[in-house]
Amino acid sequence: MDGMQVDERELIARVRAGDEAAGRTLYDAHVDRVFWLAYRMSGRHELAQDFTQDTFIRAFSKLQDYRGEAAFGSWLHTIAMSVILNGLRKSKRFDQREAVLDEAAMVPSATRHAEPDLKDRLATAIDALPEGCRTVFLLHDVEGYTHEEIGGALEITAGTSKAQLSRARAKLRNSLADFAGEWVHD
Amino acid sequence: MTDISHWDDEPMDARLRDLAKDYNCPSGMVPRDAMWQAIAPAVRAAQVPDIAPAAATELSPRTARRRRHIAPYAWGAALAAGLVLGIVLEREVLTPHSAVEVAATASRGDTQHVAAVANPSTTVGTATEGTAGIGTTRTDESSSGAASGERGPVPSRRVASADTRSGADRTAGVSASKNPTSDTETGAAAQRLYQLAARQTLVQAEALLTAYRTSDGPQRDQESMQQAGRWARDVLTSTRLLLDSPAANDPQFRALFTDLELVLAQIVQLSGAPLQAGERELIERAMRDRDLLPRLRSAVPAGATSE
Repeated sequence: MDGMQVDERELIARVRAGDEAAGRTLYDAHVDRVFWLAYRMSGRHELAQDFTQDTFIRAFSKLQDYRGEAAFGSWLHTIAMSVILNGLRKSKRFDQREAVLDEAAMVPSATRHAEPDLKDRLATAIDALPEGCRTVFLLHDVEGYTHEEIGGALEITAGTSKAQLSRARAKLRNSLADFAGEWVHD
Repeated sequence: MTDISHWDDEPMDARLRDLAKDYNCPSGMVPRDAMWQAIAPAVRAAQVPDIAPAAATELSPRTARRRRHIAPYAWGAALAAGLVLGIVLEREVLTPHSAVEVAATASRGDTQHVAAVANPSTTVGTATEGTAGIGTTRTDESSSGAASGERGPVPSRRVASADTRSGADRTAGVSASKNPTSDTETGAAAQRLYQLAARQTLVQAEALLTAYRTSDGPQRDQESMQQAGRWARDVLTSTRLLLDSPAANDPQFRALFTDLELVLAQIVQLSGAPLQAGERELIERAMRDRDLLPRLRSAVPAGATSE
C-alpha cells in the first residue's frame, strides 16, 4: 500500500510537470471506479461518461492544489461525487421513476415469488429515495464506502451518513413489504 | 399494508444489499480511450497554460462543439460584466464628487445652491446601493440643518469627505460648484455615459435574445443554458441599474427596459435546468407579445454603439 502511495505521488509529480503519459497512467488506475460510481448513480452510460470526463478534467486542473493529505483516490472521489451529484441534481434524474413507485405502492400487498420482479421493485424504490438517503445507500451498501469516506465526500458527518443509511434501509423495507415472505424463507 | 415491525431487519438488509448490487450495474467495458480523448487536451491545457489555445484545437468533436456553443455566451457575459463595471465606476466617480459639493455647500448654509447641485444624476446614483431616496432625504437634512445653523445626520462617508477637506479644498469645491458651465458639462458627460451604457445594454440584450431564440430546444445542452443564464443575469443587472438612472427618463426607453427586465428575469430563473416546453413557450410568448426583438433593433440601429 505504501509502495502504491509512493508510486502515485511520483505519478502526480510527473503529471504536474506536464507528463501526459503519467496522466494516462493515473487515469487508468482510477477511471473504472469513477465510471462505475457515475453509472451506478445515474443509470445512464452517456451521463456516466460525461461525469467521468468532467471529474478527471476538474481533478487534473486542480492537481496543483492536491497536497497529498488524503489518498489521491479519496480526493478524486470527492470530486467525482460533487460532479455526479451536481449533474444529477441539475438534470433531475432522481425523480424519473418516482411516479412509477407511487403506482407500485398502490398495488395490494401480496407475496411475490419472481426474483426479477423483486429487483425491478428494488430499483424503483432506490430511485424514489430522497437524494441524501439514496446517495448514502448506494455509496455504503453497494459501493462499499465507509461512513467516514462518505462524510468526507458529501461534507456531512459520519453520524449523518449513518442516519441517512438507516432511513434509506427503512424506506426500502417499507417499499418492499409485500415481499416479506421471501425475506423470511431465503 | 403488511406489518413489518416483527421482521428481523438484519437478514433483510443483507438481502437488500445483495440485490442492490445489480442496481444500475455497469455492463461492458469502460470506454477508457474515448473518455481520455476528451480529457487529454484539458490535461495539457491545465499543465501548460501558455499553450492552452493550441491544446484547444485538439479537443474531441463533442467538447469542441460544446465550447463553440458556449463561446458567444461567454463573450457576451464578459461584455455585460464590463458594462456593469462601467456604470458602477461612473457612479462611484461622479456621485461622491457631487455629494462632497452638496455637503460642503450645505455647511455654508447656501441652501439654494444645494437644491441646484443635488441633481437627479446624483441622487439616482445612490439608488442601486439600496438607498433609493435616502440621498435626497439626506441632502434635505443637510440643507435644513445648515439653514438652522446645525449639522444634520449626514451619511458618515459624506460627512467624512466634507469634514476632512481643507479650507482651500472647500473653497475650490464651492467655487467649482458655483460655476454653471462646470455643472452643465458634468451633467452632459453623465448623460452621455448613461446613453452609451443604455445602448450597450440594449445591444447585449438583442444579441442574447437572438442567440436564445436561434438555439433550438433539442440542440440546447444544459451547459450552454447555464452560460446563457449567466449572461442574462449580467444583462439583467445592467438593465436594472439603467432603470434607476437618468437613461430611463425617456418613456420609450423605460418601457423597453421594463419589458426586457421581465423576459431576462424569466430566462435567468429557468436557465438552471432543462426547459420544459411550457416554460420555453412562456419566455417566447413574453418576447413575442412585447415585440421585444423588433423594438430592441429599432432602438439601437446597427452601428449605433460605435458612435
